[in-house]
Amino acid sequence: MIRPQAKSNPAYQPQAATLLQAEGGWKVVVLNDPVNLMSYVVLVFKKVFGFDEGTARKHMMEVHERGRSVVWSGLREPAEAYAFTLQLWHLTAVLESDEAH
Amino acid sequence: MKRIEVKLSLPVVAPLLDIIKGLAGDLNQAPVVESALLDSDSDLREAWASELIAGQSSDLAILLSLFGDDFFADGVVRFDASNAEAIARACSAVRLRLRERYLKPVGDEALEAGEVEIAKLEEPLRKAFMCYLFLATIQELIIQHLDETIIG
Repeated sequence: MIRPQAKSNPAYQPQAATLLQAEGGWKVVVLNDPVNLMSYVVLVFKKVFGFDEGTARKHMMEVHERGRSVVWSGLREPAEAYAFTLQLWHLTAVLESDEAH
Repeated sequence: MKRIEVKLSLPVVAPLLDIIKGLAGDLNQAPVVESALLDSDSDLREAWASELIAGQSSDLAILLSLFGDDFFADGVVRFDASNAEAIARACSAVRLRLRERYLKPVGDEALEAGEVEIAKLEEPLRKAFMCYLFLATIQELIIQHLDETIIG
């Protein structure tokens, strides 16, 4: 199982656009939970996705206020890897297909 | 290496450790959050779950190692880059389990808003909620003082 490294973005590789068209895209969505601290969620977003403080806070507030935030989108395999890493940090993450909407 | 040391009250913290240790069995059995894996391949699901369980067990062991003989001698816990991430994750895992196991009567809204009157809680709910707050304090300390160390 591949775990994404912090600050990497596998979807930006040259073949990714072609593959994305062929496979369809996937979104990594983080859902709200009543337990994890806002500051912890910000830390996890910075750590897993390499977000800066402002971007991490924006996504955290979306999760808090709207119940969900799309934190990454791209190919299925890296999307699953990101979801797995978020689960290692105990955030509730789900995958959604672009075609579902 | 940046390190923080926190002196804790032994009589207050010791009973909370019993609660954390009591949840260790649960945390070694199942992931605290549901799997997001799309694949219906059961082997892959099992491997994914095993890895999540292994991660949370290892993190919990690091959290509990803070409270060894040294802690009972001087009441001090020490955080640095070598243990901060694992401890922050372990605190999250234990808090999620505490909610599931003990804190349902409090209600998610009150839990999220922090609007819980501790004086009105009865045991074992009261002790579980104290433990929940204690672990949040540890997380806050780590994030406030070691955030940049973790992000590195």
